[in-house]
Amino acid sequence: MAKTENGVRIFQGLLILGNVVIGMCGIALTAECIYFVSDPHGLYPLLEATENDDIYAAAWIGIFVGFALLALSILGIVGVIKSNRTLLLVYIILMLITFAFEMASCITAATHRDFLTPNLFLKQMLERYQKPEANNNNDKWMSEGVTKTWDKLMLQNQCCGVNGPSDWQEYTSTFRTTHSDADFPWPHNCCVLDSQGHPINLDGCKLGVPGFFKSNGCYAAISGPMNRQAWGVAWFGFAILCWTFFVLLGTMFYWSRIEY
Amino acid sequence: TRRSAPRPCTMLPLLLLLLAAAHGLQELSYEPTLTEHKMSGRITASTFVLEQPRCVFNNTTIETTTSIWLVVAEAAASVSFTNSVQPGLPQWAFQNFPTNTSAYLTLNATILNYPCPKNTPDITVLRVGSETSCAKNTAVPTCNGPLPGPGPYKVKFLALNGTEPVAETQWSKPITLRTAQQPPSSPGAGGKRSAEMIAITSILSILLAVLLAGLVATLAFSGSDPCGRGGIFKPEVASVRRYNTHHVYDQPAARL
Repeated sequence: MAKTENGVRIFQGLLILGNVVIGMCGIALTAECIYFVSDPHGLYPLLEATENDDIYAAAWIGIFVGFALLALSILGIVGVIKSNRTLLLVYIILMLITFAFEMASCITAATHRDFLTPNLFLKQMLERYQKPEANNNNDKWMSEGVTKTWDKLMLQNQCCGVNGPSDWQEYTSTFRTTHSDADFPWPHNCCVLDSQGHPINLDGCKLGVPGFFKSNGCYAAISGPMNRQAWGVAWFGFAILCWTFFVLLGTMFYWSRIEY
Repeated sequence: TRRSAPRPCTMLPLLLLLLAAAHGLQELSYEPTLTEHKMSGRITASTFVLEQPRCVFNNTTIETTTSIWLVVAEAAASVSFTNSVQPGLPQWAFQNFPTNTSAYLTLNATILNYPCPKNTPDITVLRVGSETSCAKNTAVPTCNGPLPGPGPYKVKFLALNGTEPVAETQWSKPITLRTAQQPPSSPGAGGKRSAEMIAITSILSILLAVLLAGLVATLAFSGSDPCGRGGIFKPEVASVRRYNTHHVYDQPAARL
């Protein structure tokens, strides 16, 4: 009897340990998703303008799933200690619902990450950067967001265009309709600026002399943070779900063996 | 038969040719080229960048007051261009190019602007098409305005003393400017599915399916008798833990 009781205790201990890990991972998931939603790199307006900002939706779901996992793990620990069938059944069902939500979040993050290609941002930049008039308020909001974000990107990351300044020459753009090619082969934010924000050599910038204008593309500065966000949400969520899978299986087995 | 004197009008072209030959219109073998420096703005949609014609004009024959002009012409029309030009007249005004005239003169300079030797560390180029302020101003016919189309264009340098051509270079090779394309269309909903996304989706779907099956199995078999199955929990052990005053278990208490 002692041996069986020991076996039971060990099994209970394992389940409690599993739930503790789930609880801590829930806190970590919430913290990670709050960090992503706070948009430290200021790239959200670009995604908003693509009308494809589901990796942010995935992060929002992650925040609530994290809280749910924390609460449910406490419920699970209480249920295992008390061996209460009702508690554990409630725990299992709610955990399955949370599992489904987190699964949706992971898949959304992974799928929409695949949409983020250079051409997507190129088309958006060419269409919206410095767009003067807009069809409606929403359009105006998105264009202003894109313009501000690009100006900030070019200033902070010393870059120009998605693939390089040649983007402004190779493709037609809204910018080109308001700024002549001779004066603005590329926007003046592509020039190397001094501390007051004026180009250090405007003619050198217009000619495209290396040293007076920024010849790198900004795609790395955009895709780096976005990829980290998408993969962070997707893979961490996947790891939590794999662990949760085993804990849930164990809990179902434990539940089936409780006599009432 | 009466011999008539040659008419003056047939003599005039001959006279002009003799005059030109007499004043020595220098035909230089230099061909204007685009700049050799690596710069991204070498050719844009309405401008291009030429090398300065340094060490090309002979400073013994060209005086410092001689104007060296850049002639820009449509490539097809360059053959019909004559050197009898007067900069400043509407026939050679930038604003009439290319609709009413097939060539124009711009970038007035003297030989002092193109000193020899040319090995300076500074970048010395000529940007054709850089003046946008006078592009529509007919008061400035020699405006170096942006070129109106992708071309192709040919250029040459012409040194004029007043209206008299003194020296000229060869025509350059045809220069075609950039034409911008439409922005590429985004991939859309049928974007490339990466392997990671497929892995995540399939594995998570399998896990969820197993869990749901497990839940159904557990609920279905929860009523069956575990006795004799050698389960982990003997009935009395579980009951002992759950013993409380609200439920009375006579049998397990008796076994103890």
